[in-house]
Amino acid sequence: MIQIFRPAVIPFALAIALSIPLPAAVLADPDPEPWSERAIREDVDITALAASGEDPIAVLQPLGKRLFAAKFTTLDGAGRPDATGAIVPTKARRRSHLPFQRLAGMDANACASCHNEPVDGGAGAFTANVFVSEGFESADFDTIDPQFSNERNTNAIQGAGLIELLAREMTADLRRQRQDVLAKARGSGDAAKVLLETKGISFGSLTAYADGTLDVSGLDGIDDDLTLRPFSQKGVFASLRQFTVNAMNDHHGMQASERFGAAWTGTDDFDGDGHADELTPGQVSALVAWQATLPAPTRRADLPETWRQAAQRGETLFGEVGCSSCHIPELPLDSLVFQDPGPFDTAGTLRQSDVAGPLALDLGTLDWVKALPRDDQGRVLVPLFGDLKRHKIADAANDTFGNELLAQRFVARDVFMTAELWGIGSTAPYGHRGDLTTLNEVILAHGGEATESRKAYSGLEEPDRKSIIAFLRSLEIAE
Amino acid sequence: MRQAGFLVRTLLTVAMPACAAFADDSSGDTSGGGSVAPVPVFVEEAQSAGINHVYDGAWEFFVGGGTAIFDCDGDRRPDLFLAGGKNPAQLFRNASPTAGPLKFEPVDTGLSDRQSASILGAYPLDFNNDDVLDLVLLRLGENLLLEGKGSCRFDVANRALAFDGGREWTTAFSAVFEPDLDFPTLAFGNYVDRSAPGSPWGTCHDNFLFRPEKTGDGDVSYREATRLSPGYCSLSMLFTDWNRSGEPALRISNDRQYYRGGEEQLWAVPPGRPPRPYRKSDGWQHLKIWGMGIASIDLDVDGFPEYALTSMGDTKLQKLDAGSDETVPVYQDVAFDLGITAHRPYAGEDLKPSTGWHSEFQDVNNDGLWDLFIAKGNVEAMPDFAAYDPDNLLMGQWDGRFTEAGGEAGIGLNRRGRGAGLADFNADGLLDIVVVNRGAPVSLFRNLGQGTADNPKPLGNWLAVDIRQPGKPNRRAVGAKISVRTGTRSMVKDVQVGAGHASGQSGFVHFGLGVAERANVRIKWPDGDWSHTYRVFANGHVIIDRGAEKARLWYPE
Repeated sequence: MIQIFRPAVIPFALAIALSIPLPAAVLADPDPEPWSERAIREDVDITALAASGEDPIAVLQPLGKRLFAAKFTTLDGAGRPDATGAIVPTKARRRSHLPFQRLAGMDANACASCHNEPVDGGAGAFTANVFVSEGFESADFDTIDPQFSNERNTNAIQGAGLIELLAREMTADLRRQRQDVLAKARGSGDAAKVLLETKGISFGSLTAYADGTLDVSGLDGIDDDLTLRPFSQKGVFASLRQFTVNAMNDHHGMQASERFGAAWTGTDDFDGDGHADELTPGQVSALVAWQATLPAPTRRADLPETWRQAAQRGETLFGEVGCSSCHIPELPLDSLVFQDPGPFDTAGTLRQSDVAGPLALDLGTLDWVKALPRDDQGRVLVPLFGDLKRHKIADAANDTFGNELLAQRFVARDVFMTAELWGIGSTAPYGHRGDLTTLNEVILAHGGEATESRKAYSGLEEPDRKSIIAFLRSLEIAE
Repeated sequence: MRQAGFLVRTLLTVAMPACAAFADDSSGDTSGGGSVAPVPVFVEEAQSAGINHVYDGAWEFFVGGGTAIFDCDGDRRPDLFLAGGKNPAQLFRNASPTAGPLKFEPVDTGLSDRQSASILGAYPLDFNNDDVLDLVLLRLGENLLLEGKGSCRFDVANRALAFDGGREWTTAFSAVFEPDLDFPTLAFGNYVDRSAPGSPWGTCHDNFLFRPEKTGDGDVSYREATRLSPGYCSLSMLFTDWNRSGEPALRISNDRQYYRGGEEQLWAVPPGRPPRPYRKSDGWQHLKIWGMGIASIDLDVDGFPEYALTSMGDTKLQKLDAGSDETVPVYQDVAFDLGITAHRPYAGEDLKPSTGWHSEFQDVNNDGLWDLFIAKGNVEAMPDFAAYDPDNLLMGQWDGRFTEAGGEAGIGLNRRGRGAGLADFNADGLLDIVVVNRGAPVSLFRNLGQGTADNPKPLGNWLAVDIRQPGKPNRRAVGAKISVRTGTRSMVKDVQVGAGHASGQSGFVHFGLGVAERANVRIKWPDGDWSHTYRVFANGHVIIDRGAEKARLWYPE
């Protein structure tokens, strides 16, 4: 017999249109009591907002802040009894008797319950580690054996709006280079090769052929589709929006309709908890807006003189020993307009083609952005200390960062996105598992492509090594 | 708190089970917004695309009306060959701008006037292993094997291949590369033997099987035909590995209008041995339908394909019986269970039964669920069957069922459909539809996704896969299986030559990926070897060469 899935459910709005009798509860509670335990009370019509000409930041930021800190409850639809934490909507093989579960999740009911050091949106302690595996289909795991998951420390989100804007510009630039080399090959009838580079960062090579085919085996540090995915320790998510939709399901069982809704799953209650369309596009936009406008980390301005001098010396050494070849101090950004939805998301994350027009969040209106330096072309210099590129970071001689057994989203287990070091002084413990307590330890853990830099660091006299620590500890998330 | 006009308090929404109205509709009229899966919008633009073509003719051309969709000029875009019946067949080169309106330019086929007339159907394949697609033409009279020469030029190769095209009324075709044979085995299905006494009743012609013979210089010849007797007026045939044995059998769908004592057929074609029909003693069950077109897909990915069989009245959907096994071809009809019978028009006032022809499983909304297209149309003026009989677009739903959406999608024209095919003509990731109509212009539907003609918009993510066996016979890997996995779901599609109604395709194989932005692709090559897993990203074309470490990508201009 053909497999018959669970009965479909219909959207609430459709039920109204069809005059289907609904339980009284459906229409009840439009205005919850002040003591209500519901965390979600507002929504935003982003179509109207985009058309209004109003500053979307002012509208979305406060709601996003509340949603980020909200402790979602079962009254909101928290929990996903019938669904796994997988990015692609996936049914659990059977329900867990535990609504919370540290491995297969849901493992939290608030974003800020992990992203909270030193402030909301920040990093998390080892106790806030998460377990990453797309393969979770059931909650049967009672082990942290890495063959079932990769354990990851919580990333800080401060400055993520600028990171995504950099990634978008780099993606567009790389795709232009792809288009050009294809046109060259087609025009000449011969194979053509291009060394991909954007914002001064090399991403390997592409070879195009006259028939429009591409050999992508020369790519380095980026996915074959030339989408620069800057988010997660692994660098596998393209946008804050995509990551938000992923995380809201994985960690909280709050399913966004743009991925888990009826269009893509046949039901508006994919997780089977009795709540339809748990997160609207407007609520996701609010979360995105709040994260995208989080002030970028800064440097401590009130350092004692000894520390200031050490940090200054350390910054110089940081460059001299080669750290800055990947942890690039700053990258130039052409445009500060953050469109939501973004240009490179695919189905399952709201796309620009899904809306009449995207919201335009002008980050340039934010004071902390205005304070950033600009280059002689007027471009904002984003002080990320990163290159938005993936690198092999472990080897047999130094396998500390090679401690995962699962590849993630096509990226090998010993390859990670260069960590942006802005804010590193506020985000201990370190490493993708958050199991290194000092900066010295995490530097010494570098292997693979970073071997020479690590050796150079090791070869420094102790005061010089300490000065590099002094420099790194001056990079803080403002409280 | 700020309270702008777009900031609204939320209502608590509670999930509701689907209402019965969506669960089933036995009337055949299930249009009207019943599909929970998104329904793409199509716009018919044959005329503006430059395709002016009509399939027509006398009784002999009540059937047929096929199209071959394949790349004849090496630019990897699908071109179109259209059978014309009494009218000359035409070949059109695809000149559609990427993601733009469809555009085709007529190309001289190189056929004589006589050769390009009386054509009922066409199937592309590479029968001489030169990696240039060839074309098999089904004709009223001599069938033709056209050797592709590149640049959309063809030479008739019957003589060179020692192929006797016969004089029959040929209406069906399939081809397969049998184990250990370097060249394809060709099966031709024939219709009524008009010269037999008592014709047309009970005078179905035998079908023919041509096995390749290697000549001294390494080429192929098709000197000898094996009769597949009895023939029951076949209108569609397909070599298919129904029992995942690695040995494809030949399924033939036959028109009960003219046979006596006939039935649907399945022929075992054991390598190196004569074909033999499965009989009742083999478990094969007697089934009489007006068999017009076969569509095959493995809906539940159990390794055993399902078969949609179009007919007059209800479409069948055959699934290997749960109590059966790999040695006994016992099928149950699950068409009603899955809402796929499409037995009468979904629009209009006509309650008479439908007449189904070409059928094809594809994913037109890229949600990862197979949809079923059926070309519909009265044979000519049969009074007991619906006159207005629009083509079906049965959208796959997440509950495993299908819901009619032809009207909503905009393909419900008042034309008598025959052969057809779905392909992404403008390389935008949305499958378009071409339908050859009897006595009316060809329909060419551009898929606009959720947008408009001026502003098409994508639906789900997608992947187009082409597979090749460089340096080997059977370059296009006929008989291979492409497996695409996203999350915990798998979709599989076989690379086949045959089925449909007089219409075949070769080129990129399309998969909808829904909300997955990447997929793992494995190939089961025709000899049974599985490839390693190719990791590919959504929304692009990939080419997998056997043995290659990585897939190549292809970008349209």
